[in-house]
Amino acid sequence: MDIDYAREASVIEGNPSLKSIEDSISKPLSTKASWKYWLALMFTSSLLITGVVCLGFSFYYGTGLWGNNNPVGWGFPIINFVFWVGIGHAGTLISAILFLFRQKWRTGIARFAEGMTIFAVMTAAMFPLIHVGRPWLGGYLFPYPNQHALWVNFTSPLLWDVFAVSTYFIVSFVFWYVGLIPDFATLRDRAVTKMRKFIYTLFSLGWRHSSRHWQNYEMVYLILAGFATPLVLSVHTIVSFDFAVAILPGWHTTIFPPYFVAGAVFSGFAMVQNSLIIIRKVFNYEHIITLDTLEKMNKIMLVTGMMVGYAYGMEFFIAWYSGSQPEQFAFMNRAFGPYMWAYWIMITCNVVSPQLFWFKKIRRNVFVMFMVAVFVNVGMWFERFVIVVSSLSRDFLPSSWAYYKPTLVDIGILLGSFGFFFTLVLLFAKTLPVVSIAEVKSSADGSQPTHHGGSSHDK
Amino acid sequence: MNSGQIDYTKKEMPEKVVKLGYGLLAIGFVLVVAAFAFDYTRASFNSLISFMFVFSLGVGSLFLVALEHIAGAYWSVPFRRISELLTALIFVAPVLAIPVLFDLHGLFHWSHVEAVEADTILAGKSSYLNESFFYIRFVVIFVIFILFRIAMVGGSFKQDTTGSVKINKINARLSAAFMPFFAFMLSIMAIDWLMSLEPHWFSTIFGVYYFAGTFLVALSLLTLYVLYLNKEGMLIDGISSDHLYNFGALLFAFVNFWAYIAFSQYMLIWYANMPEETYWFIIRSEHGWEFISLALIVIHFVVPYVMILSQPSKSSKKRLKVVSYWILGAHYYNLYWLVMPTFSKDGPVLGWYELVFPIFTAGLIITTFNFVSKKRNLVAIGDPKLKRGIDFRL
Repeated sequence: MDIDYAREASVIEGNPSLKSIEDSISKPLSTKASWKYWLALMFTSSLLITGVVCLGFSFYYGTGLWGNNNPVGWGFPIINFVFWVGIGHAGTLISAILFLFRQKWRTGIARFAEGMTIFAVMTAAMFPLIHVGRPWLGGYLFPYPNQHALWVNFTSPLLWDVFAVSTYFIVSFVFWYVGLIPDFATLRDRAVTKMRKFIYTLFSLGWRHSSRHWQNYEMVYLILAGFATPLVLSVHTIVSFDFAVAILPGWHTTIFPPYFVAGAVFSGFAMVQNSLIIIRKVFNYEHIITLDTLEKMNKIMLVTGMMVGYAYGMEFFIAWYSGSQPEQFAFMNRAFGPYMWAYWIMITCNVVSPQLFWFKKIRRNVFVMFMVAVFVNVGMWFERFVIVVSSLSRDFLPSSWAYYKPTLVDIGILLGSFGFFFTLVLLFAKTLPVVSIAEVKSSADGSQPTHHGGSSHDK
Repeated sequence: MNSGQIDYTKKEMPEKVVKLGYGLLAIGFVLVVAAFAFDYTRASFNSLISFMFVFSLGVGSLFLVALEHIAGAYWSVPFRRISELLTALIFVAPVLAIPVLFDLHGLFHWSHVEAVEADTILAGKSSYLNESFFYIRFVVIFVIFILFRIAMVGGSFKQDTTGSVKINKINARLSAAFMPFFAFMLSIMAIDWLMSLEPHWFSTIFGVYYFAGTFLVALSLLTLYVLYLNKEGMLIDGISSDHLYNFGALLFAFVNFWAYIAFSQYMLIWYANMPEETYWFIIRSEHGWEFISLALIVIHFVVPYVMILSQPSKSSKKRLKVVSYWILGAHYYNLYWLVMPTFSKDGPVLGWYELVFPIFTAGLIITTFNFVSKKRNLVAIGDPKLKRGIDFRL
């Protein structure tokens, strides 16, 4: 296929009318769910229940049910926390940063990715809370005057996490909701039952599609995108500080902030990719979430995968270059110690597998890209495993070394987090438009004035 | 193909710019030679700053070119040729490095074999930090950069006459291949020429830190040339404030990026407080260097941040001109802060040595651009993307 350099390619295919866009996006909301949907929901909620049961046991008997041992105090909970926060990052990257870069292809995927951000942050936030052992005391994480005269430790990055993640959640939620308002109004106008009309009216905040509304809306959206951009970078930066401010070899290294952000975007894109491939198939959105869009996402995964690869390489090189024995040992231990299996899973999944995306054929092959994205998700989970476990299990004193092994309860909670996340995703897909109706319409051929007179419709 | 519709006539660089370039170069050359004659080592340190500055501009410009190809950007097509011409600085940069190579012992502690043998840590890294491997890396990196430069920019020059669409595809592929090399080689250069000045010190983010400055200066110099050539009517009709806004927005983004990377590096080292890392910052926080360090925050971040924070200022010609000059100066200052503490630990030095090298460097940059732009069009008129690039609106 030759590229036409003289005219802008449309981000949606088949030149659909504005009405048909509206129809196809709101169709899943007004039709009864198929048995496949219920089957999927049953599957994810069984995972969720597994997690809930395992959590219940953990609360009842205590965190001794987990694999955490003496040197490895940060087991699965922190790995899962970092993993899920990372997943959230793609949503903000797509919705805010690509918006600032005026990338129109984001319109088809932004809403869904934002939704995933919110669910991922919710999933992530659970883990530090359960990791404290007594989650009902979690309120003490917030600095408020109390009778016990307990005050939070402001010098700890773990506390900065509390602020960063909660701010991030609030701003993401507002951003997502603001984007939804025009769509709520559209749905309100299409609603057939009274109940639906009432609910959509409530949430659309009196939106009437007037040009004045649009003007204010676009300004607010731009400002929120401007806010969200530094915020998303700060969140994973602070997550990286959790590790990097420590003096533990393998944790303390200055490249961590940008490296964690790149890794977060990398894994987040993989997760969005995986979910969207299913969504576009099931809901027949192939003309809205096009193959071109997926290809662009693959390119971003290739770039961020290489950034992560750069960080792995640089860490290893500087560990040697530093001449510091503990550093050198930590990295040799990672690559050839008892956790070498995890390290090489990480390298294979994160650095090797995205290299397939150098080939256009593979970038446009839905099955292969789905598999690569799965690999990336696995790899990024293992990256956190490698960082947390390999450094802790063999720390400064060989007498206290111990091999960390997750228990079934740990694995149950991990599965539960996937259940929680995907149950929310499934509910989201059936209750709200997973693609922004307003934005897709605005990027359809002919809906924007051009500078050459006439619309791009006339060929 | 499109060149038929594009109205472009090649104009000569104004006489006064040519004279300015030669003037600065001649005066600078005499003074630089004098500097080397009086105090070779001090002059070498300054030459190193200038070298890394010009290297930033050369490879940074090549990065901008590759970025446009790989991202499929349109708005920057009318200006790509300026960056392409500026990549000639890659050929020129070694001029400033050669005198340094003659004084490795004066600059790099690791080049003293006896000192390295007596120091277990340095002995441990001597398989990387030794003179012959240092030379090899230097030569190999320049050869690779030059090959990429010839391939990517040469194709674009040819396109002016042929208008072949194929070039765009080839360049997009070359750019994709270039990016990993760029990241790798720029990091090696930063480690070799800047980080190894204090051979015990190490920081994994250092390559990224140098990259942040590299991107900023290359973009600043491009912005300055765009503003000047457009004012002189030497570019093409249709350059609007929407184009300029992109320069402002990108500069703003990367001012922040630099600050983010600089903060990450400082903060993590300060917090962990490990002597093998902190000593690098301790040198920069006593005997008067603390003022230079604090000023760096203001010069490299606060001032440019405030200057182009507001929306109108990002497309204001006047503001962009000031901020671009400012950032060029700030990067030079940043390099001074990276290099000079090794020369003079007991306090910042600022004498005529430090002032003559920027003069020579400015002359070198201006004259190089004058020279390479003589026979070339200043706009990539054969590029099929050009028309859409000119028509770009926000």
